[in-house]
Amino acid sequence: MIPVEYNTAVVLLGTAALGLAAGSTGSLALLRGRALLSDALAHATLPGICLAFLLTGSRSHPALLLGALATGALGVVLVAALSRRGRIKEDAAIGAVLACFFGAGIALSGAIQRRSPDAAQAGLDGFLLGQPAGMLLSEALTIAGVAVATLLLVALLAKEWKLVCFDPDFAAIEGWPVRLLDLLLMLLITTTVVLALPAVGVVLAAAILIIPATAARLWVDRLVPMLILASSFGVLASVTGTLLSARFPALPTGPLIVLAAGCLFLISLLVSPRRGIVARATAERRRRRERERRRLLGTIFTEQEAAPESPVSEGALARRRVWGPGRLRAHLEDARRRGWIRWGPRGIELTDAGRQRAARIVRASRIWEQYLLSQAQIDRDLIDLDAEEIGHLLPPHLVAELERSLADRGLLPLGSEGSPA
Amino acid sequence: MSGAPPPAIEVHDLTVSYHAKPVLWDIDVEIPAGQLVGVVGPNGAGKSTLLRAILGLVRPASGWVRIDGEPRRRGRHGCGYVPQRESVDWDFPVDVLDVVLMGTYGNLGWFRRPGRRERERAMHALEQVGMQDLARRQIAELSGGQQQRVFLARALAQDAPVYLMDEPFSGVDAATEAAIFEVLRTLRAAGRTVVVVHHDLQTVEEYFDHVLLLNLRLVAAGPIRDTFTRENLLATYGGRLTLLDEAAEAVRRGSVDTTAWRPPPDGAS
Ligand SMILES: Nc1ncnc2c1ncn2[C@@H]1O[C@H](COP(=O)(O)OP(=O)(O)OP(=O)(O)O)[C@@H](O)[C@H]1O
Ligand SMILES: [Mg+2]
Repeated sequence: MIPVEYNTAVVLLGTAALGLAAGSTGSLALLRGRALLSDALAHATLPGICLAFLLTGSRSHPALLLGALATGALGVVLVAALSRRGRIKEDAAIGAVLACFFGAGIALSGAIQRRSPDAAQAGLDGFLLGQPAGMLLSEALTIAGVAVATLLLVALLAKEWKLVCFDPDFAAIEGWPVRLLDLLLMLLITTTVVLALPAVGVVLAAAILIIPATAARLWVDRLVPMLILASSFGVLASVTGTLLSARFPALPTGPLIVLAAGCLFLISLLVSPRRGIVARATAERRRRRERERRRLLGTIFTEQEAAPESPVSEGALARRRVWGPGRLRAHLEDARRRGWIRWGPRGIELTDAGRQRAARIVRASRIWEQYLLSQAQIDRDLIDLDAEEIGHLLPPHLVAELERSLADRGLLPLGSEGSPA
Repeated sequence: MSGAPPPAIEVHDLTVSYHAKPVLWDIDVEIPAGQLVGVVGPNGAGKSTLLRAILGLVRPASGWVRIDGEPRRRGRHGCGYVPQRESVDWDFPVDVLDVVLMGTYGNLGWFRRPGRRERERAMHALEQVGMQDLARRQIAELSGGQQQRVFLARALAQDAPVYLMDEPFSGVDAATEAAIFEVLRTLRAAGRTVVVVHHDLQTVEEYFDHVLLLNLRLVAAGPIRDTFTRENLLATYGGRLTLLDEAAEAVRRGSVDTTAWRPPPDGAS
């Protein structure tokens, strides 16, 4: 454990709870296509904060957050009204509402600043980029309470929200109150965003909903794991950002939290096992190399088939112009190391293992070719040109038939399985 | 009351418009129970809108719909629905079984998770469409025909008396088409009513007992033999005469041609 001061511990509790709630809520927001809307919502809270300050003259969180809630909700309602029945495209409506509300908020806060500079400095600036350092225990506990309530609600309604997010029409036909479920989700998003304001601020509030969820999606393919992972990422980012800013007080906490989430996202994008950039590139490279190996073996096999008595020369392979001389040499060396070929006195010879594999490869590719030629209707899903074994992909009687027609023309490689000994 | 059962679906005076533009005009039709019913018409004729109006997904300007003689109900006694494939995001974090299980949510009610019984029902539905081996496959990794079959399986899991399907045969290969048709016949044999939006005029006679010819208004509706005629097709497809004549010709021959004729896209005439 890192020893932390009491103040830091309170902030940690608050931001971690925030990350927990934001991860789950953000995942649902993302899947319901509300990511952009939650950003507009966050920006639309600024005028509310300023108005609440003007009206009450107080800098207490409850009053200001109530104001935030009011104009934030107003912004969302406005987006919905503008984009209903396709009057205006939703992204345009979101852009317009976001800019107008945020502009109004900035103007208001400018006016406040001129009138009472010190009050504004302390209270309102914190809402722009977040200022969790002064968080009170009661505030942290409130956030924790809301986070627990959020998780309970998500656990309770996971099935219903999954259905509504995936296929709202189907949900409606099945009798689910889609509007109510949508409204509930929007309320959840609004609460989370508003709670995030003191910590990460108006500008970045939506980021802690969206980024952990997006990162989690890169790792998992099911909803519940995504919710769990996104919440974990949220907590991790919050804790990292808070501790860093406690260690380096010059750096503001809110942006550090968002930055930590961004780093998690970047790492996920790079290294996630299925969707990550590295994994995809590696898999592609491996596939390509494997394909080259098969092609080399197949080529040697067909060369030998054409002239069984004479071993295959490197020159003959080079004349195929498939590989440049350097590459060809490298591929041949690789095949030799794997024990598929050896350098005989007059050229390249396939070893027994190499011959067997080569025969399998050639057989598979000729069967596919024959399949494509002979079938009127082709099920593309069945075809896998990288598969050396066809038995499980095509029905056996079909394979037998294709083999027969190949054998009739002397095209069935000897020594491959299933062929006559 | 006579012994005749009420029609599976009764549509009365139905008018639907988007803004000022009518999309369905005064549709009045009764769809008999226990039959395979084709809905045919050119692009933009309002076929999808008719299904959506029957399902209560669009609000009609006027008119009403009854299912099994009663106002539409939802859930257990509602309609099975196979939407057009493009209507959902196939990159959603669920697998095939998850999607099919959604067909059981209606019976399950609030808050309860699908249990073993629901899973068995979903697996049975997947078997019927020949997808049981792909139950744990991520839906993003499915081909178009497989996606279509997943939607069909989800509808089967709904176990509804009436099914509405929007172009279930579009973009699937011949093997899948045959498999889907087999499922439709099984449903009919079990006394279900199945209404299918269909684009391929060549197969209408082979597949359906009953047909609705639609183009903004209802041109004709009735048993295939009396209704799927050249005159009615002409009235439905309007000016697209030459292409239509090919179709009509095919209809007359009871064509065995394997290249499916499809109506031209909107505005091609
Ligand atoms: N949401 C909408 N807003 C406005 N117009 C719409 C909307 N949906 C459909 N339409 C219009 O309603 C008409 C009927 O559409 P519908 O989708 O029902 O036709 P369809 O017969 O299913 O066509 P297709 O064969 O292309 O599927 C079309 O002209 C279409 O442009
Ligand atoms: Mg349609």
